[in-house]
Amino acid sequence: MKTSNIICGLALAAAGLISSCKKDYLNIVPTDRILGSAVLADSMLFQDYIINRYMSIRLQDKEGEGTNPGFGRGFEYGLWSSISDESIYNNDDNTWVIQQGQMAPENTGIAGTIWGRSYRSIRECNFALNNIDSVPMSDGLKKKLRAELRFIRAFRYHDLIRNYGGVVLMGDKEYSLSDNLTNPDMFKRSTIKECIDYAAGELTAAAADLPLKNDGSWLLGRATKGAALALKARLLLYAASPLYNAGSWQAAADAAKAVMELSQYSIDNDYAKLFLSPNSNEIIFERVYAVSARHVCLEISNGPNGYNGWAGNTPLQNLVDAYEMSNGKPISDPASGYDPQNPYANRDARFYASILYNGAPYRNSTIQVFTPGGKDSKDGPSNWNTTKTGYYLRKFMDDKNPIDNPWDVAGLQPWIYMRYAEVLLNYAEAENEAVGPNASVYEAINQIRQRASVKQPPLTPGLSQSEMREAIRRERQVELAFEEHRFYDVRRWKIADVTENTPAYGIDVTVSNGVYKYTRKVALANRAFKTKHYWLPIPRAEIQASNNQLEQNFGY
Amino acid sequence: MLTFLLLLIGSGAWAQQGTVTGTVTSGPDHVPGVTVRIKNKTTGTLTNANGSFSITAVPGDTLVFSHMSYQEQIYVVKNFSPVKISLDGLSKSVNEVVVVGYGTQKKATLTGSISVVKGAELVQSPQPNVSNSLTGRFPGIIANNRSGEPGYDGSRITIRGLATTGNNDVLMVVDGVPGQIGGLERLDPNDIESISILKDASAAIYGSRAANGVMLITTKQGQTGKPVINYFFNQGFSSPTRLPKMADAATYAQIMNEIQYYNNPAGGMNQFYSAEQLQKFKDGSDPVNYPNTDWQKATLRKMTTQNQHSLSVRGGSDNIKYYLSIGMINQNGLYKDGATKYNQYNFRSNITADVTSRLKVGLYLSGRQEDRQYPTTGAGAIFRGIYRAYPTVLDRYPNGLPTTGIENNNPIMQVTDAGGLNRNPSQVFNGILKGSYAIPGVEGLSLDGYLSADKSWNFGKNFSTPYKVYTLNKTTGAYDPTVVGGSNGLPTLNESQENVTMITSNIKLNFARHFGAHNVNAFVGYEQSKTSDELFGASRRNFPTPQAPELSQGGAAATDKDNFGSSWNFTRRSILGRLAYDYQEKYLLELQARRDGSSTFPEGKQWGFFPSVSAGWRVTNEPWFKPVKFINDLKLRGSYGSLGNDNVGMFQYFNNYSFVNQYVLNGVIQTGIDLTKLANPNITWEVAKKMDLGLNMTFLKDFYLEFVYFQQKRSKILTQRNSSVPQLSGIVNPVGSDPLVPAENIGKVNSGGIEGLLGYTHTTKGGFRYDISGNITYAKNKIIFIDEAAGALSYQRQTGRPMNTYLLYNAIGIFRTQEDLDKYPHLPGAKLGDLILEDYNNDKQITADDQVRSKYGNIPEITYGLSLNGSYKGFDLFILFAGQTHVSQYVLPESGTIGNFYSSWADNRWSPDNVNGSYPRVDERASSSVNGGRYPNTFWMNNASFLRLKNVSLGYTIHSDLLTRWKVSSLRIYANAFNLLTFTRVKDYDPEGDSGSGQFYPQQRIMNIGVNLKF
Repeated sequence: MKTSNIICGLALAAAGLISSCKKDYLNIVPTDRILGSAVLADSMLFQDYIINRYMSIRLQDKEGEGTNPGFGRGFEYGLWSSISDESIYNNDDNTWVIQQGQMAPENTGIAGTIWGRSYRSIRECNFALNNIDSVPMSDGLKKKLRAELRFIRAFRYHDLIRNYGGVVLMGDKEYSLSDNLTNPDMFKRSTIKECIDYAAGELTAAAADLPLKNDGSWLLGRATKGAALALKARLLLYAASPLYNAGSWQAAADAAKAVMELSQYSIDNDYAKLFLSPNSNEIIFERVYAVSARHVCLEISNGPNGYNGWAGNTPLQNLVDAYEMSNGKPISDPASGYDPQNPYANRDARFYASILYNGAPYRNSTIQVFTPGGKDSKDGPSNWNTTKTGYYLRKFMDDKNPIDNPWDVAGLQPWIYMRYAEVLLNYAEAENEAVGPNASVYEAINQIRQRASVKQPPLTPGLSQSEMREAIRRERQVELAFEEHRFYDVRRWKIADVTENTPAYGIDVTVSNGVYKYTRKVALANRAFKTKHYWLPIPRAEIQASNNQLEQNFGY
Repeated sequence: MLTFLLLLIGSGAWAQQGTVTGTVTSGPDHVPGVTVRIKNKTTGTLTNANGSFSITAVPGDTLVFSHMSYQEQIYVVKNFSPVKISLDGLSKSVNEVVVVGYGTQKKATLTGSISVVKGAELVQSPQPNVSNSLTGRFPGIIANNRSGEPGYDGSRITIRGLATTGNNDVLMVVDGVPGQIGGLERLDPNDIESISILKDASAAIYGSRAANGVMLITTKQGQTGKPVINYFFNQGFSSPTRLPKMADAATYAQIMNEIQYYNNPAGGMNQFYSAEQLQKFKDGSDPVNYPNTDWQKATLRKMTTQNQHSLSVRGGSDNIKYYLSIGMINQNGLYKDGATKYNQYNFRSNITADVTSRLKVGLYLSGRQEDRQYPTTGAGAIFRGIYRAYPTVLDRYPNGLPTTGIENNNPIMQVTDAGGLNRNPSQVFNGILKGSYAIPGVEGLSLDGYLSADKSWNFGKNFSTPYKVYTLNKTTGAYDPTVVGGSNGLPTLNESQENVTMITSNIKLNFARHFGAHNVNAFVGYEQSKTSDELFGASRRNFPTPQAPELSQGGAAATDKDNFGSSWNFTRRSILGRLAYDYQEKYLLELQARRDGSSTFPEGKQWGFFPSVSAGWRVTNEPWFKPVKFINDLKLRGSYGSLGNDNVGMFQYFNNYSFVNQYVLNGVIQTGIDLTKLANPNITWEVAKKMDLGLNMTFLKDFYLEFVYFQQKRSKILTQRNSSVPQLSGIVNPVGSDPLVPAENIGKVNSGGIEGLLGYTHTTKGGFRYDISGNITYAKNKIIFIDEAAGALSYQRQTGRPMNTYLLYNAIGIFRTQEDLDKYPHLPGAKLGDLILEDYNNDKQITADDQVRSKYGNIPEITYGLSLNGSYKGFDLFILFAGQTHVSQYVLPESGTIGNFYSSWADNRWSPDNVNGSYPRVDERASSSVNGGRYPNTFWMNNASFLRLKNVSLGYTIHSDLLTRWKVSSLRIYANAFNLLTFTRVKDYDPEGDSGSGQFYPQQRIMNIGVNLKF
């Protein structure tokens, strides 16, 4: 620019006002962000990038409270359990749309974010996988990191498959904005089997190179060999299940067995404390938290109104009824000793560890959901926050955390993605389906029932295969309550059209002359489930973005 | 049209000193406070209350009569007979000069669409926030006041509506400095000489920042003559324009029962409150256990105060002129015992000096302190609390203890300093050194330039302290305290400092000369600016005591401490020029061009070119037009040009990776990196092509008219591909933070419309001066291209429709009978009392395909104003109506068990007992109700048209000899009201708002009384 130079010179000479006429005046180097090339040039930065892949982005309000979400849903205000028959979210907040069978591609409630979140993470993993060769670091480390990335990517597919069925497999493709994003090939959904095979294969490969355990050089919170194998076992169990019909029970049993044979994990003695700290030997893979990087403060968001809690996720009678008596008999068994007017006496110890019920001891007091006058009922303070079901959540609650003003203090419980009890249950189920209720099935289940703090009697010997199936299903329902299993289990077993069409029951407790009267009630009307709801709908915006080339799930 | 009325009586002796006496009038009025001085001498005086003056002079002296509201007038002394001087008001003057980009121009020869408002008009009805003074005054300016919170009570100003899906902010130029830090809003209105608004291609001289229009704010300068001291005081009383009326306790209790009934019909109608309890709410017989709390009344004052002081002195000799001022603004919040406060202190020193006859310099210094203080709970949360809080809950127990309110948020406590204070004091300094030099040898050639330094210091200190709220334990009778605020029962502190600097320099070579009937005015210039922003902050938790709110006194643990910081730089460099030519002020032509470079864009894409041309024809200057007597002045004009908009995020031309530290390993937060922005290596300007055709006319002597047709084509609009990129590509944008996709130059919007202004100004024989004018703007925009999903349905697309429309289901009624349910397609589980949503596509089911785009968005298509200005003897009156129409606003209150209801909904709700209710049945949570947020529908969209009595002001200027004796040359007392009356169909909230939940600090109605003294 000649003229600019002349004028610039003139300016300098005439007024001396111009502070700078430097040629690179317009070229500013940012100080608050770095280039991708810098990330690839430095092995520490590259590892910093990989670490964040255990999380993905927030895609909805009230998601990722505290820190960005990881896999699945995890600890949020509305738990995933509140779109199943385990609990209801007291104040709706986009959960009832699913409970009441109104879920549609345009209305996915809290369940609409897994699609986008997973694919974003897959692309990010692919960037790292495609470029890791150029990063200056040892081959040994590269091998481990490659395995870690493939684990994360497979976990994203796990999230996609169990919600949407057969999805689009990306391989190592890393789309960019300059690609043709309307290319029909981009939207071809693979079959469930193809997806499972791909993800399981990735996990097999990842397991080969991942460390056996977390230690000082592979800190707690990173995936291990056991994590990869356990996730694979879960996927293969799903694949063998009736809804998927894309694998064999034997393969599922073998996969679970492979985790058991690692001999790295054991059943924790204390069922209640297991969920409060990240260090249990039962935990296979988890998300850990810290002050300034927390999740939802569970105690205030789920606590009873009499304690200034907000009664968020309130357990349903449907789940309460699944807990056996402490004598090992289901309450439906006339010999169980169950008294509907004294319903909480002598139940499975896990009931007391998971659910707050009328009369339950809690924080130097007892729960009072009775009317008139109960402090945790509508007659208590903040009555808009009272439970509709007659129960409050106990599991995960850490009594060391304050209910009032917990911000910056609470929200540190680990979210357990996989624990050993699940592996045993996976094994038992697969083995029972593959070969029948042999001793190893009993052994697996009884290990869980015999947990020191639980001590449920062993299963009655001599169960038929289908009796064993029922027992295992009940055991899963109880043992894994609120842990994001039930929603998927009832679907893969194809019993959701029964269980999810059962009304959402709660309990009404009234007191008169010191005597409690328990009456079942409907806690949330119009609960409904339609066949199409076996899979989630792909969000409407996504179908439209694909110009209707992406096939929607059946029925939507 | 300028008339000189020199009444010279006879001729007398020469060169002999004597006293000239006389009176100054304007029309029939005597004008007090006119500066009378002798040219090139220091002698000067002021006219008194009767407009009379007396001054010592010698024949041959030139008397100069000046006053800010009138045209300057001169009179050459010939003898000492009394003289009569008649002044012309400024607005009528053809010689009036208006500020344009990089210069001034005679209004008569303007070729662009430029509206001007004088500072004197702004202070007639003073606002603490100047942006609120512009509404309704002239066509083309759309100013919407969205909040009344002290410190954040400005209006959003757009010129001719929305023209881009990107940033629509107007460029503010203060005393020649584009984008001066501190902007318009917080200027002292008393310091403002004029504001010019460039609405068309005349703004092209501001190149890459001009596309949304430019406002040129000029502050006052000194005047030769005796110093004029001006003191101004204003006391205001403000109250909300309107607040929604909420349901009372008895109604709300009944609603709670209904909600439970809908959740579990088998349980009947009294699942929550028994009939006896309802009765207690109704009759108030047990006000502690069954209260009826009006949370607005409990939390808000009926009225709060604000005041403004301003003191200035203005004067100078022929060589040095000065304008010095100080000012102060105090505004209080609306809260009872509230912590909210806004205090402002400002000064200005504008000094100009003629160093030699060729060299002039000027130094403009101004600064202000803006002290904002708020409770630690923000206004949005407080008003959310007020509207949510249940009427069935006490605000305070009879012994005075505050209750837990709603989830321990008790608005009556949140508004106070009980939970600590959030202070945001900030300082702004603006300094401009200007110089001009008339180059000898070539007549009309001059050089000028400036160096300006802007700086702002923004400090924030938010100390959150614990306090107690109480719950009455009904069994023990004790008041159980709950500690809220702070964290973990202990105080927390957040402190931050953000400093922004902008250094701008400019140099221009000017040429202005007459060649016979040819007038030429031209310049070329160079300008550059650099903006730097630096921010750092720290937080501490777990303070052992609230007594020591300092970073050094916080908790000792490593996890109690956190720090942050960032900085950025931004540069611009420009070459610009203008050539204006006219022939006999009849044929007017102007060419402008600017070449702009910006660091926002990558090398090679940094420079843009923005030319414009405009022309005018003053028909009345044609000799052949003279016979048309009824048209006094007629000008036709037009302009066309290319303007730019570079208001986008920086560094989008490469993949951005940033540190985001959230993932925890083994209890320790890890350093983590995320990809936060994908690259757009081709990012460049947004371009506006603006066309403007206008007509200005004065006819039948007293009528004036302006009519403009305008058109704009925006292209290369920087916008993100949010909808067309399928998520499975992995390119997915997070909610609530910067999108991953970069801005791309893909958007296109056309807009256009008309502006009209018609006025009548007249002075009756009795001395009543008045001016009535009305203006209207019709501005419509249409999206030509916006990123949309390939499969979007034609009737849901934004393309081809105006911006900011809503996508909603049509609510066509309420299901009142089973027959209704049978007749209309409905949602699964639809109940009586639900809204009937229209099956728009006739597929017998209600799906997202039934949503339809609304006709209007929340920026009005039509705005209008009507003003009346009158004066009689000492009285002056100003009335301004402002209105808008073709505008919609969607508001869904946060009601249900989550919060209280507007009484309009509560009282008119459908229920089994009120099957004719005009509102749908109540639900657990409106935001996820089938009748609310789950199926957003037109029931909640309001026609936000309104007509507002924006401003009424009545003043009286006292003329009295007593005042004269006290050296007071003029005293004006006045009263005025802002937002006095509103006519609208919107029921529950102020129609000017833009909050979709209705939860915001409401707009204010302000009553002012004040006084203006001149010495």
